[in-house]
Parts: sequence; structure tokens; C-alpha cells
Amino acid sequence: MSNEVEDTLKRIQSHKGVVGTIIVNAEGIPIKSTLDNTTTVQYAGLISQLADKARSVVRDLDPANDLTFLRIRSKKHEVMVAPDKEFILIVIQNPVD
Amino acid sequence: MPKKKKSQDDEFEEWKKSKQLLKPKDQLELADWEMKEPHARILLTHNPLKPDGLVEWSFAEGSFIPLHPPSNYVVALDIKGTLMHRLSPEGLAQLAGDTGLPAEDEEEKEEVEVEEGEQKLEEGEPKPAEVPAEAKPEDEEGEKGEEGAEGGEEGQPAEAAPPAEAEAKGDAEDDEEGKPSKPKKLTNQFNYSDRAAQTYNLPTRSQETQTIPPPKENFSSNVLQWIIYDDYLTDYNRQQAELELERLAREAQKAPITKHAPPPPKKSGGRAQLSEAVQARVAQCWKTLERMINQNINDEINKDYKYWDDPSDQYREEEGTLLPLWKFTYEKTRKHSVTDLQWSPWYYDLVAASLGYFDHMKPLDTGYLCLYSLKNPSYPEYICQTQSAVMTVDNHPDHPYMIVIGLYDGNTIVYNIQASCKTPAYKSDEVTQKHRGIVWDVTWRPDLPDGELNYYSIGADGNVNHWILLQTEMSVTTIITLCMDKEPLRGPDGTQVILKSTPSCIKFHPSNRDVFLVGTEEGLIYKCSTSYSATYLFTYRAHSLAVYRMDYNYFNSNIFVSGSADWRVKIWEDNRHEPLYVFDLGAFVGDVKWAPYSSTVLAAGTIDGKLSVFDLNISKYKPICIQAVVSKKKNKLTRIRFNQRFPIILVGDEKGMITALKLSPNLRVPCKPPKKMQHLDQTTLQIMKLDKLLSVVREPVVLERPPDPAASQATTK
Repeated sequence: MSNEVEDTLKRIQSHKGVVGTIIVNAEGIPIKSTLDNTTTVQYAGLISQLADKARSVVRDLDPANDLTFLRIRSKKHEVMVAPDKEFILIVIQNPVD
Repeated sequence: MPKKKKSQDDEFEEWKKSKQLLKPKDQLELADWEMKEPHARILLTHNPLKPDGLVEWSFAEGSFIPLHPPSNYVVALDIKGTLMHRLSPEGLAQLAGDTGLPAEDEEEKEEVEVEEGEQKLEEGEPKPAEVPAEAKPEDEEGEKGEEGAEGGEEGQPAEAAPPAEAEAKGDAEDDEEGKPSKPKKLTNQFNYSDRAAQTYNLPTRSQETQTIPPPKENFSSNVLQWIIYDDYLTDYNRQQAELELERLAREAQKAPITKHAPPPPKKSGGRAQLSEAVQARVAQCWKTLERMINQNINDEINKDYKYWDDPSDQYREEEGTLLPLWKFTYEKTRKHSVTDLQWSPWYYDLVAASLGYFDHMKPLDTGYLCLYSLKNPSYPEYICQTQSAVMTVDNHPDHPYMIVIGLYDGNTIVYNIQASCKTPAYKSDEVTQKHRGIVWDVTWRPDLPDGELNYYSIGADGNVNHWILLQTEMSVTTIITLCMDKEPLRGPDGTQVILKSTPSCIKFHPSNRDVFLVGTEEGLIYKCSTSYSATYLFTYRAHSLAVYRMDYNYFNSNIFVSGSADWRVKIWEDNRHEPLYVFDLGAFVGDVKWAPYSSTVLAAGTIDGKLSVFDLNISKYKPICIQAVVSKKKNKLTRIRFNQRFPIILVGDEKGMITALKLSPNLRVPCKPPKKMQHLDQTTLQIMKLDKLLSVVREPVVLERPPDPAASQATTK
């Protein structure tokens, strides 16, 4: 199983326009990243807050609902976030490469 | 009165009765005679309470001096009456109207009415206080004895004294004045008594103690609706679990004691299971992220596939184009050929591809079954690797996770990709069951009455086999062995060898469950039935070389098309020896398919990499679109497949790549209903369109022989 995950991760990193991937644990601490330290910490902190808030919004509207994915399209990048109870996966892609 | 008294007595009695029931626990139990025993009481003149030999310390003399013994006179109660004898001097004085007021007061009061006597009395009362000296000494003399006897009860006699004094004083004044004035009405004079007692005051005491203060902690949190919901849900689950445990406990009690106690539920695996679940979620999330990334990369393609229609088609009358969309590749299958393509019957975006090889001079020792999703062209969703090249694939129409593949080595394998891609769910036995040759085609059939899954396979050994999936294994029956209608060859030692055809494709009739077509490498097409294993229903001498693929028309099941290695595509009608249409494409026809959206459109892929699309309604002689999809020099086109829902066609090639193409609007013109039949739906119109075409083609044949009523009936249907 973990092999499969590793493969997928490698593949994702090799995709066109992918700037970096970050894996953040439940406490908001980055545990794996392909970006430099400062950026990683910044992304991890900010995105985990945003994901928490977004989840709160979704769940407050309907408690039986839940947030599954979050895509943030900016002028330069697209930040894709897969939030979970125990981890947050972040992929930053430059879609107009 | 007596009545009332009686009732009072009753009440008293009742009260007494209830009172009698209560006895102290330590009360002596006395017998009746003991109770009745009289106890004599004797009154004595001697006061036992009286102290004798009282002494007082005299500071003057510096010694104790004895005091007079207290008198035996004890005042128990002293109430001064207000009644007096009328003939006594006080009575006379009162009758005379003397209230004992001072003279100067009386002068003022004379004008005042008689009713104000009360006031006068009250005013008069303080007066005696001014002259206590006269009366007090006498009283104090008397009181001394009382004090000795009564001890602490000093107050009462002292308080009781003043009225007496007032009386006394009044009397004295009366006597002094001696002149009774006119009689006055006496006002009521109340005796009053006042008692005051002072008890010891309990001294106040304050006591304080200090404990260690409890630890403090700052806590802050938000309460949102979903947090409450979650807590309730956890609580509910816990309650359910408790109920379940209770139920189990009850059952365990009820159940007879068995030798082997059921093993306790495993708890050690909890953590591992949890992490496994998390791992699965991680994998799922990565998968979705990969799809998103691909969506961003292929943004234009994604829009084109849904919304872009070639605008130049408006200006071209009868030609169309193909727009290349995605390309599906997998690193490990670069050298494999796409041997078959099959859309998932449930998921419009999922396609199963079998990867093997056709060039027998360059064998490969592996084969793959890959399932691609349109959402992620960069990597297959599922990959199943096999020991031998995969030559054909089929998705079960009702259970899309059941996929059967045929292998180069003659085996057939069934995968349940929902359960596992690594291990096959069923595999034919290497020795007893497998085909003695390449499995060229497999096809699922509707479930048997007992619900068992079943499929047919054809192998290069000339057999058409029927496989039934049982609980753990497959059972196989050979439905028909395709023998050539030639004389058996004589062997060297007198044996006779029956020549067998080599089937290359099988196609079941869409509506008649028993009937199927088998195309062979000899160029024949046999129409067979599962009911007869010895004879063919019909034999088409179709091609001069191998028939690679056949396909039934979606709208008219009497019409089918065949593609062959003799460069030709032929369209056939059921039970008719001659083809209705023949097209020569100038290269091996690897695959030919009817379009699912039109009754007259078909596509054929030739080995030189070109895809030809025909619309019989527009042109009976040439394709309306010829487009080179794969490079002619390095690559070969192998298989094609229409999507059932979108105007997309997939093309497989020899490098393991699958190309998706979008058909331009000219290649999928819908039927326009005639003015008089606007209500007809597209399906009916399509059938009518094809019938109209066929009626033109059929004519010369009809002249040769009378038409088959059954066939024509079916056609009109």
C-alpha cells in the first residue's frame, strides 16, 4: 500500500507544472515536502488554518457533510488541498507552464 | 358551654392518647401494683433550701461577719389586685373622684372633658418616679428576703413594684389632700408586667483555614453546530456498542456451555488497522490530486471534449474530422500492442485495455490489463499484470468490476478488480481447461437462471468454450468445435485428421441469446447456435483472408459488418450470402465498429494507421473521413472503440498507446424527422433511415429469389 502511495507521489512530482508537494500531519507540522523550509512552513501553517476554517464552514451548514477537497486558484498557481482528519496533502501547480 | 368543654376534652384526650404512645426507651417497666403503690409526700415547716450560716466579708473589720438568716417567707407570686373595697379609704377616695393628680394639673384639667381621664392617668404615672424615696425603702426591705430566696430572679419584683408605688403614692396624696372633689368616672387601669431575663452570651469565635488552591488553567474553545453533532454521534455510537455488548453477554449466558469458548475479539490489530485505513485514505487523496493536476494540464482538452465542435464542418458538406484528445500510455506497456479495448458499461470514462502482441516474431513474456480513466490519462487506474500476453478483454455488463481476459497461452482469467488487481478471482486450469492456442476473443453472457456468471471464449484450437463461474472454480464446456467442411486428411499411419478452423472473433446476436457469429482466419463467418454443437446455422464465405472483427448494428440486429485482412470491410444481412456493401480500404482492416449513435455510421481502423469513418446515408462508396491517427512508419493501428455516451472514439496502436478522438459534427448528424412525422424519436428515425438504404441495395437479390418472410418481418421491426 505504502509503495503505491510512494509511486503516486513520485508520479505527481513528475507531472507538468507541479511546483511542489507537502504532506502535513494533524498538528499542522509538515512531515514531507519538496519545497524549501521557509515556504513549506508557511504553506503548512496557512493552508491548515484555511482548511480548518473551510471545513468548519461546510460542516456548519450541514453537520452530516464534510469537506473533501479544496482548490485555490491564484494568478500564479493553483493550490490543491486534500484535507483529512489526520493529514493534509498540498500540491502546488503552475497550470500555465 | 358543656358541649364545648366536652369537645375540648375530646381533643385533649386525643392528644393525650397519641402522646402516651411515645415512651422513652429507657423507661422502667412497672407492674400494675407498682404503679398503684402510693407514695407519701410530707410537708415540713423547715425549708430545706434555706441556707444557714451566711457570712459577709467586711472590709472595715477585715473579717467575715455573720448575716441574719433569711426569712422563711417566700414570695412565689405577687400580683397586686386592682379591686378594692368600696368602704375602704382607697375605695372612698376613688369614689370621691380623686385620681391622685397633683393640684396644679387639676386646675388645668378642669375644663377638659371627663373622657380625657385616661391621659391624665398616663401623665400622672411618671410622677411617682420623682418621689421614689418615700416608697422604696419599705419595698427594698421586703425584697431583701425575696432576693435571698429566689436568687437570680431579681427583676420581677423590682418591675412589679412601680404600680404598687403609684397606688401607694396616690393613696398618700389622697390622704394629704383629704378633700374629695366631685366624683369622677374611673377609667380602666391595666396592670402590666414586664419580665426581662438575660442569659449568658456565647462568646463569638472565628476560625479560618486555608487550603492549597486548585490548579488553574485557561481554556477557550468555539462551539459550533457540527462539534455538537459530532459529540452526539460519538455518544450514540458508544451507546450502540454498549447495547451490542450487552446483547452478546445475554446470548453468551443463554447459549449452552461449549467446550471451545469463542476467541476474544482481537484488539492488538487496532492500531495497524487504523494506520491501514489512513494509508488507504492517503492513497485515495493522492489519486484525486493527480486527477486534478491532470485536469489542469489537460485543461484545453477537457473543454474541447465537451464543448468544442469543429466550426469548419459547416462549410464542408459531407466531410468530417477527428479531433485528437487524450493519449493514454503506461510506461511498462510501451512495447505491447493494444489487443482489445472495452468501455466500462457503468462508468462512461473508464476503459479497459488489454495489452499483448500480434507480431509473433517478437514475443513478450508479460501482458497487462490496464483500466484507464479519462480523468487521468497519465496513469492507469488499475493495472493487472499477467504471465502471458493479454489478447482480449471483456467487461461484465451488470458487474463492471468483473473483467475476463484471454491470454496468449490459452488461459482465460477473471479479475475482480474491486477486490484485487494482483490476484485473479478465477483462472482456468493450466492442464485440463485451457485452450490449445491463443484465446482470440472472450465475451460475457447474461447470468444463468441460477445467477452464475458465465462467458464464452474462442481459442486458436477451434473450440468455442462456455465457462461458468462457480464458488471457487470455473467449469468449462465446449459448445462447438469448428471443423472445416473438407474431407479429413489422411495421416501417415491410416489415421484421419479433421481439419479445424481457427476462430478469430466471436459476436453474439444482440437479441437472440443463442445465436452467435464466429469469424475465422480462413475468411469464413459461421452463424452458430449454442443449442447445436454439430452444425452451423449459416456459413458466410465472407473474406479471402482472416476475419479480424465483426460488429452487429445497434439499430438493426440483422445487419452486421466484418473487417478482414483482405483490406475489405463488408456489410452483411442475416442469411444472405452476398454482402450488401463492400469497401476496400487498401490495408489490413484491424477493427471495424458501428457507431452507437447512428444506424449508418461505421468506423474502420486499418493497419497503416488510418481511421476511416463511413456514413452510408451520405456516401455508399467512400468514407466521409479518413484521418491518419498513428504514424504509418513506426506504428500500426490495432483496435478502435466508440464511446456509448460521448462522440469519442478510442484507437489503440502497437506501441501500447490509446488515442482518444472526438468526432466532428459532420460525422454524427442526427436524423431530421420528415415534416409529417415530427413525433418520431431518434431511434425510430435511425431504423427507418437504415431500412430505406437497405431496400435500395436489396432489390437485385430479391429478383433472384423470393424474400424470406421471417427475415423481412424482423427487418421491419
